[in-house]
Amino acid sequence: MKATQNLDAQDGFAMTFNKPNGWMNSFIPWILPALFFMGWFLVSRFEIIPAYLMPSPRQVGEAGVMYAFGTPGEGPYAGRFWVDAWVSCGRVLAGFSLAALFGIPLGVLSGRVDAMQKTLSTSINALRAVPGICWLPLAMVWFGIGYKTTLFLVALAAFFPIYINTAVGARQVSPLLFQAGAMLGVRRMNAVFSILLPGAMPSILAGLRLGLGISWAYLVLGELTGVPNGLGAVIMDARMLGRIDIIIVGIVLIALLGRTSDLLLSGVFRLCFKSARRLA
Amino acid sequence: MTTQLKLIPGHKKELQAPPVLQVSKLSKVFKTGDGPMTVLQDVHFQVAEGEFLCVLGPSGCGKTTLLNVLAGFEKPSAGKALLEETPIMESGPDRCVVFQEDTLFPWLTVKENIAFGVKGLSKKEKREKTNHFLDLVGLTPFGDYLPREISGGMKKRVSLARVLILQPRILLMDEPFGALDAQTREEMQDLLLSLWNQFHHTIVFITHDIDEAVALADRILVMQKDPGMIAKEIRVRLSRPRERTESSFQDYCKALYQALKKPQP
Repeated sequence: MKATQNLDAQDGFAMTFNKPNGWMNSFIPWILPALFFMGWFLVSRFEIIPAYLMPSPRQVGEAGVMYAFGTPGEGPYAGRFWVDAWVSCGRVLAGFSLAALFGIPLGVLSGRVDAMQKTLSTSINALRAVPGICWLPLAMVWFGIGYKTTLFLVALAAFFPIYINTAVGARQVSPLLFQAGAMLGVRRMNAVFSILLPGAMPSILAGLRLGLGISWAYLVLGELTGVPNGLGAVIMDARMLGRIDIIIVGIVLIALLGRTSDLLLSGVFRLCFKSARRLA
Repeated sequence: MTTQLKLIPGHKKELQAPPVLQVSKLSKVFKTGDGPMTVLQDVHFQVAEGEFLCVLGPSGCGKTTLLNVLAGFEKPSAGKALLEETPIMESGPDRCVVFQEDTLFPWLTVKENIAFGVKGLSKKEKREKTNHFLDLVGLTPFGDYLPREISGGMKKRVSLARVLILQPRILLMDEPFGALDAQTREEMQDLLLSLWNQFHHTIVFITHDIDEAVALADRILVMQKDPGMIAKEIRVRLSRPRERTESSFQDYCKALYQALKKPQP
């Protein structure tokens, strides 16, 4: 059957992308932060903004080192970072997991089952229109201050992007793929795992990433209500004491943790699912 | 590789073997906003073991609906379709379909797509079988590519390999090469014929292309539309390989052209 080796087969090859080289790739993402840092440095160096409003990079750096590596008792925030980060990460993880636990199955159902879509979409879209912060007073009455309220806010906020993106992804999987699967012997229920979820993977992962990002936002909201620990609590506390440097440290650390968790989420999905590796 | 019956494909075959597929008085009516629409009416034919049957007709004559019924994607409104005496109820790997559209799973490599339907084999056996069929369609160097990385013609080869590997009782092809350029289309037709010569699959091939039907088929069913029914049956008595430039080939094309132009009642 070598007769089949023909023009078509010889001409077909992997698309080659115009990739900048590796050095450029790792350099480009840091251009903006570097510019920002330089601007900040100049602003504080020439006291364009007074130091009590905008501390210098050096001052913030020192506060950060103290916060992360200081011995407890040495200063007001010394060495608290690890406990705060641990607590905050736990809250994000719990709330986000809860959101995914409901968001993905409900999203799949409303993406594929018309009746489900009709039942859910109006209510969910109405709820989605309510800004998350509106839930805060209610949550505080219901759940008190602290863990439960934060968990509720994070789970509620992360649910919507996960649900909506999963539904869109599930709806967009071509019916022909299901026909092809059926013809190749895939039973109905198996098709969910072997066709539907892999086919919808790019949207599901996008929804999860958006949800995780929002989780961090609502974590801080939940922690601003006066819990004893957590990154949000530190920021709130520093505001009371006028420690702008610690506020900035908190913001930077949340940015770092948020980005790291996003990379971790994508990485774990790429590791576990072919479809995430190859489509997303 | 098991061959099912030692039939020599070609013009001599007068099909004494029992039919693999029997379609009798098959009708399909769809409900629409403007009332029922009859897409297929009293379609009646048989396909013998190892036969290459083409169904030729204009767009909208119900060819694809017919194939969907045979594949088990749609249920007939009346009449029946039997695969070896058993009514066709749902889709399954005994009646594999090669679709016109690209239906490869985009998250699987070429090899994984081909191996998708294979069950009950050890990892090693599965790998060997997959490699064998990969070779049969001439794609050995591309086994680890993703569908988006290969050309349209190559995707068709993968589609063909992933159904051939299951050794279906009947191969249903729905204008599989319709979206390809002329040159690639002819290459795919040659590939299909050479595989058919090797394995003697029973094939129902849907097309709207007269040339393609004459080049491939043992027998051609010409369909008319409104409602979709079989207008004419033409047996192609040309030896293989067939040369498109020969006058006898052109005679068949003319006859089919006439049949399509003026469908007979």
